[in-house]
Amino acid sequence: MQGIPIILAIVVMNFFLLNLAEGDAVDVLAGEAGSATPEYMEEMRKKFGLDKPLTVQLAHYLKNVVQLDLGFSFRHDMQVTELIVDRFWPTLLLMVSTILLAVGFGVLLGLFAAVNLNTWKDAVVSVFALITYATPLFWVGLMMIILFSIKNDWFPTSGMENSAAFYEGFDRIKDIAHHLVLPTITLSLFYLALYTRMMRASMLEQYGQDYVITARAKGVSERRITFVHVLRNALLPVVTMAGVQVGALIGGSVIVESVFAWPGLGMLAFESLFARDLNLLLGIFLLSSALVVAVNLVVDVIYCFLDPRIEVN
Amino acid sequence: MKVNTLVKFALATAVITFSGAVAHAQQAGGSLVFLVQPEPPTMAGYVSTSGPIGLLGPKIYDGLFDYDNDGQMVPVLAESVDVSGDGKTVTFNLRKGVTWHDGEAFTSADVQFTIMDVLKKVHPRGPNSFKEVVSIDTPDAHTAVFNLENPAPYMLRALSSYESPMVPKHHLEGQDIKSAKLANNPIGTGPFKFIEWKKGQYIRLDKNENYWKEGRPYLDRIVGRFVPDASTRAAAMEKGEVLYAAYNAVSNVEAVRLNKEKDNISVTTDGYSMINPMALIEFNTKEGPFTDAAVRRAISTAIDRQYMIDTIFFGYGKPATSALSSNFAATGLHAKMPNYPATGDIAAANKILDDAGYKKDGDGVRMKAMFDLIPYGEDWKRGGQYIQQVLGEIGIKVELRYEDVPTWLKRIYHNYDFEMNLNYFYQLSDPVLGVHRHYGSNMIRKGTHFVNSSRYSNPDLDALLSSGMTEPNAEKRAAVYLDIQNILANDMPVVNLFELEFLTVYNTKFKGAYGSAMGAYASFSDAYID
Repeated sequence: MQGIPIILAIVVMNFFLLNLAEGDAVDVLAGEAGSATPEYMEEMRKKFGLDKPLTVQLAHYLKNVVQLDLGFSFRHDMQVTELIVDRFWPTLLLMVSTILLAVGFGVLLGLFAAVNLNTWKDAVVSVFALITYATPLFWVGLMMIILFSIKNDWFPTSGMENSAAFYEGFDRIKDIAHHLVLPTITLSLFYLALYTRMMRASMLEQYGQDYVITARAKGVSERRITFVHVLRNALLPVVTMAGVQVGALIGGSVIVESVFAWPGLGMLAFESLFARDLNLLLGIFLLSSALVVAVNLVVDVIYCFLDPRIEVN
Repeated sequence: MKVNTLVKFALATAVITFSGAVAHAQQAGGSLVFLVQPEPPTMAGYVSTSGPIGLLGPKIYDGLFDYDNDGQMVPVLAESVDVSGDGKTVTFNLRKGVTWHDGEAFTSADVQFTIMDVLKKVHPRGPNSFKEVVSIDTPDAHTAVFNLENPAPYMLRALSSYESPMVPKHHLEGQDIKSAKLANNPIGTGPFKFIEWKKGQYIRLDKNENYWKEGRPYLDRIVGRFVPDASTRAAAMEKGEVLYAAYNAVSNVEAVRLNKEKDNISVTTDGYSMINPMALIEFNTKEGPFTDAAVRRAISTAIDRQYMIDTIFFGYGKPATSALSSNFAATGLHAKMPNYPATGDIAAANKILDDAGYKKDGDGVRMKAMFDLIPYGEDWKRGGQYIQQVLGEIGIKVELRYEDVPTWLKRIYHNYDFEMNLNYFYQLSDPVLGVHRHYGSNMIRKGTHFVNSSRYSNPDLDALLSSGMTEPNAEKRAAVYLDIQNILANDMPVVNLFELEFLTVYNTKFKGAYGSAMGAYASFSDAYID
């Protein structure tokens, strides 16, 4: 319930921040069109409601938002909700697969490194994590395209589906999965590194706890200590981090979406900023802030499963 | 340019060698996937002339005429046109048996409505193109008679489907044209029908089985794909996922590489002669350091145009030689002028400034200025950096400013808060349509983009511009434009730098799309995949 005032505050702040930018949607539209008369632009402003004072515009917007109406994108001549929903599924697909891959492999690698502490195996994992973390995403993406798409004809360069064939049914799912591989790997590499480092550190911290000594004293096997006691506790910070990032990732990754022409929300937000399509931009922000709040609630619930000492009130 | 000549040569050879087989070579079927960059806001080509709309709109909507590579008119929805002796009555004989994609018949009422209620009212350039049209009579369903106030020779250059698409009256009448549903669900008479638009991915058009031209189009489908990243676009071209990319959707550097490395990828500079893009510098002639024409002439003299073309645009471009593009030579309107040297002359430029009394201070600086750059990509930034360096050599110290598009538009065309601005303008198919807006006093319109931002005002020039507009005699008209070019070569409120040559990169298996002067803005009804 605390979420709602937070979201409203975010909306108001975004509204004023975005209006600080010079120029409006009409300038951009008229600029793209080549040239338009001042009367024509004045008329458009009136139609878009951009001629009213900011506070009136804000009140109008808030009234709509409370009624779950995100308004109209004059640039696209479409409802904002429709535009966002259309782009939400590709984003969700990319983000879920990325998080699964990154958290899954990150936890495994971190665990592997922690168990083999200070051996060459640990060193290899750490160096790998460091390199993937430090490499710029757009470069990784382009290298992926060159290696796996142009040099080896394994994957398509970009897009979400084959736009010459337009597959139906099961073939379409296969086609989308095929297109999903490279962007997912690219985006995962970065987060993979993060989770690997985190998991390793978290495991090491737990190994030093009193309960591990107690368990050893009781004669519990190392295997059981690692997988039953330490792993479970070590996961807590990783889950927290993943929760925060799911929210942020829903906003989309402009770089990966741009390199792979993935039709997600990130690109939409990026483009609407330059087009001064504020209704659309505010809608996207609203959605991502609502999701951050929601995902954090889910994370709280997951805590209870991992650590029975935490209770949901 | 070399490449272009080679392509022409290769095509000519191919035609000679296979002239017997050519008629049978076109195959029906296949999909064309091509690059559309950036994604268009809507598909309303009758409200906006935005580039990406032009790439797709003309496949859906037809115009009255098209133009071939020599600039000759090719009948489309009009079979012929008659201009009366006094130039004030223009009669179009329309094609019979043409239907809209929804099955309704196309008639002269659609033409009347399109010109009078759509293009003259809401199109960005229509009010100029059809300025003289007072009314349109429709004596029968296949005749449209345009009644003009004054002769308008340029009007016949603005009838392509990109410039003046014919739109269905029954889908727009009685509605607010700018917000009508048609914008996102286009219905035309063109060779391809609109199927769907996946925002952020593609627009899909399928073959119009009832197209008026027998046996056309050849292609079953056209898909315009949106790929935001320039390197990925080049990769998609290299891999053959897309077959065609115009308006530098594949950057010059990649185009040159692909053309060299790949046997099946070629480039051409054809298809832009009706657009006529011109790179230029606009000056604020009312305030700041550039109110004196001598300073502007010095800048024009100092810049090495050929160097900019060679190093920044990979050799694609022609140095400007007057206020008008050399493509207007076809209609006799272009003349070479002084003050536009192809290679810069620093010494001469310094002399102009010395003579005008601008002294260098201890650091060799005569004056300082802010230089705005058109925010359309890296090439323009590099161009700005080059000019900054050259101006430094003649004692003009400039600072570069690069902002986002809305901020820049507001600054140049609304607030006039600039001193000099690097830009490019489409000169279009006639000076009346593309050039007058830059210089006329009546084109000083606060808040209107891409018009007279220099706020240059010269009554002599204004008089010449209006006679150039209505003079039906070609020779007299050429004389008028000679005077106009002379005045502008001396006053230089705008310094033209070079004629941009955009590149179209294409896969050689995509054929038949290169015969129209509209280039990528053409209908592609004759295009096919080999």
